[in-house]
Amino acid sequence: MHAVVAIKQVPDTSNVRIDPETGTLIREGVPAIVNPYDIHAVEAAVQLKERLGGGQVTVITMGPPKAAEALLECVEQGADRAILISDRKFGGADTLATSYVLAHTIEAINAELPVDIIFFGKQAIDGDTAQVGPGVATRLNIPLITYAVAIEEFDLAARRAVVHRRVEQGIEVLETTLPVLLTVEKEIAPVRHAPLPRLIAAARYQPETWTATSPVLFDPQQIGLKGSPTVVGKAYTPPPRSGGDVLSVADLGLDAVVARAMAVIGQAHVRDLQPVTGVVS
Amino acid sequence: MTDRLTFDAIVVGAGPAGVAAALTMAHGGLNVIIIERGRFAGAKNLFGGVFYTHALADVLPDYWERKPPFERPVTEQGYWMLSPDSAIRVMHKSERYLKEPADAYTVLRARFDPWFAEQAVAAGALLITRTTVTRLLKDERGRVIGVDTDRPDGCVYAPVVIIAEGVNNLLTQQAGLIASDLPPKYVALAVKEYINLPAKELQTRFGLSGPREGVAIDVFGDVTLGLPGTGFIYTDQSGISIGVGMLLDEFVTHRLRPYEVLERFKNHPVVRPYLEGGEVREYGAHLIPEMGYDRMPKLASDGVMVAGDAAGMVDALHREGTNLAITAGKMAGETALAAHQAGDFSAAFLSRYRRSLEASFVLKDMKQYRRMTDFLESSPQFMGTYVNLLNEAALRYFTAHGIPKRTMEHDILKMVRERRSFTGVAWDMLKLMRAMRG
Ligand SMILES: Cc1cc2nc3c(=O)[nH]c(=O)nc-3n(C[C@@H](O)[C@H](O)[C@H](O)COP(=O)(O)OP(=O)(O)OC[C@H]3O[C@@H](n4cnc5c(N)ncnc54)[C@H](O)[C@@H]3O)c2cc1C
Ligand SMILES: Cc1cc2nc3c(=O)[nH]c(=O)nc-3n(C[C@H](O)[C@H](O)[C@H](O)COP(=O)(O)OP(=O)(O)OC[C@H]3O[C@@H](n4cnc5c(N)ncnc54)[C@H](O)[C@@H]3O)c2cc1C
Repeated sequence: MHAVVAIKQVPDTSNVRIDPETGTLIREGVPAIVNPYDIHAVEAAVQLKERLGGGQVTVITMGPPKAAEALLECVEQGADRAILISDRKFGGADTLATSYVLAHTIEAINAELPVDIIFFGKQAIDGDTAQVGPGVATRLNIPLITYAVAIEEFDLAARRAVVHRRVEQGIEVLETTLPVLLTVEKEIAPVRHAPLPRLIAAARYQPETWTATSPVLFDPQQIGLKGSPTVVGKAYTPPPRSGGDVLSVADLGLDAVVARAMAVIGQAHVRDLQPVTGVVS
Repeated sequence: MTDRLTFDAIVVGAGPAGVAAALTMAHGGLNVIIIERGRFAGAKNLFGGVFYTHALADVLPDYWERKPPFERPVTEQGYWMLSPDSAIRVMHKSERYLKEPADAYTVLRARFDPWFAEQAVAAGALLITRTTVTRLLKDERGRVIGVDTDRPDGCVYAPVVIIAEGVNNLLTQQAGLIASDLPPKYVALAVKEYINLPAKELQTRFGLSGPREGVAIDVFGDVTLGLPGTGFIYTDQSGISIGVGMLLDEFVTHRLRPYEVLERFKNHPVVRPYLEGGEVREYGAHLIPEMGYDRMPKLASDGVMVAGDAAGMVDALHREGTNLAITAGKMAGETALAAHQAGDFSAAFLSRYRRSLEASFVLKDMKQYRRMTDFLESSPQFMGTYVNLLNEAALRYFTAHGIPKRTMEHDILKMVRERRSFTGVAWDMLKLMRAMRG
């Protein structure tokens, strides 16, 4: 079994201003962490490997040299191999360019040792788009299961798996062929306290670094800023909504309320619209 | 588990003492593991603080080229003696402080400790963080042969363990080097805030001509409500470290809350203007061992040595601790190297460690100030009465009221007599001299 896990290093935005242990400290320069969903993805891959009695877990990340720290944390959790995809040419990537780089990397890894399953986090807590996993599945043209919460069956010989997926109404049980790409919820696997020998192994481990040109060549048109059509126009905190008008159906009658509502909609640009609520009482 | 995790030496704690020990042993070619419970070295550490470079230069002669994350060199230092509304300020400034690398720098531990640990890693030591040593492993004859941690498969073995666990010296107790927890009489509790201020503004307020100048002020008197203890104000790169420390006992007896004492200090009329508009970025509390020379633990036993705060190596009077810790760590490391060469890790062999410390400033200073804690405890008037008296006297001296100077002098002497008899003063001075001379 060969699993690939894509992880992202993100700032620790949990905004813990007080150290939960001493109850006192605020630390400057919050250290970066592995995206919380991704560490569960790593754990799920490692547990799958243990369940099947063997295999390999490869973790990959595209990011600055500092992201090597995040990879080492994954090695502590049980990953066997870690690849840092890092080059200034990758800078400024949006989800399109990111998914290209990750898909191309996974193809190269697959050529060395065929990949049976790919894990992504549900979403990154900084970018929050939840687009990268689906983007990679699309590029690789393999089945995608988002919001995965459990792997019920995994049959390498028959090349099939049964995966549980969280949806609003409950759980969907899906059967898929392999290879498959999952984006995972935290429930997929609780993160275990890594054993000391793993920590020591990680402290001695040196992740591989892949650049834009070596050991595989990435298409310069599809990476970094060049490969990123998304333009962030402006980032801002939206103003809190002010309360809208409340029209009572009992007082005014249904027709009058609908007419007033239609008039407001007609006048306003959609973006300026304040809610109009009809109260039936 | 069949193959044991084995190293030449284990260091518990990546504070100044532990890192200095690891660095020394790694330089000497030993395979060393440092185990630290924090997320990173320094994550849980806090001090005033003024860092003295002499000890660092001993373990890392080229430290300056390795760009340590110092805040500001200390180019002006001294004492403020606060009464409730006034202060006598005795500051020392000298051109000789301006030469770098300087004798002392202000330092933030969350920045310094990771850098220091990195130097040990660069020398070949293995740093394991987020892992707490839970107990010492001993053989059937009671010799220390390794440690257990809070990790699965968490045992590590080595012929020598250096405990540098800081003031909460649970392992030191477990090793049988000290009998029990420090009584609250012999441990101080300090609280500190780091207040952010733009560098330019900070420099204007403290009269500094640029980023290569800094102030270290120790504060007495009203800062601790006249009780034994001190406050401090140190300038960092773009912020102020301000704090206050008192014996744990005093907080308890006088029902004082540490943060209220600090808040009161920050609102003192002489102090407040320096902090105005600053933003509190970090706050914390930490203990300081004040057990003094006579209550220090045994420093070594079979297969184990203890260094730094865990062994009570602090000179509170001169706010020194990190340099004692580094020097002790280095000496413990050197002793471990010699033990490896001799193949002898017995208590008898490791007793060289104590002898090295006795020959150095570490135990010489500890010995000299052995009576300091007891002196302050037995003479509480020292802080309160005298500092207030001095401020009162200064006020009379510096103001003109249309009364003859002779009357003013009489008034001052009368004041002294009323608050503390002349023999009382003489007695206090004598005791102070004795405490200082050792
Ligand atoms: C403040 C901010 C500004 C931005 N500005 C721009 C901009 O100006 N231009 C622009 O084009 N884009 C910009 N981006 C978006 C871009 O950098 C995305 O963060 C990135 O493409 C990944 O998308 P995401 O974070 O939404 O990941 P998601 O799609 O939410 O992540 C899902 C999963 O994909 C995997 N994953 C995501 N990223 C990586 C990675 N690098 N390596 C390995 N696995 C990964 C992880 O498993 C993760 O759990 C900005 C993002 C932020 C937060
Ligand atoms: C408020 C204050 C102001 C001070 N001001 C100054 C000053 O101005 N100048 C000065 O030189 N000194 C000062 N000191 C003293 C100085 O901070 C200490 O003497 C010094 O830090 C001692 O170093 P250490 O390595 O022995 O202990 P520490 O720095 O406390 O390091 C101990 C380390 O061990 C780790 N640890 C503990 N137990 C375990 C375990 N079981 N397993 C794994 N890891 C463990 C801790 O997390 C910590 O990292 C001050 C102290 C305080 C509290």
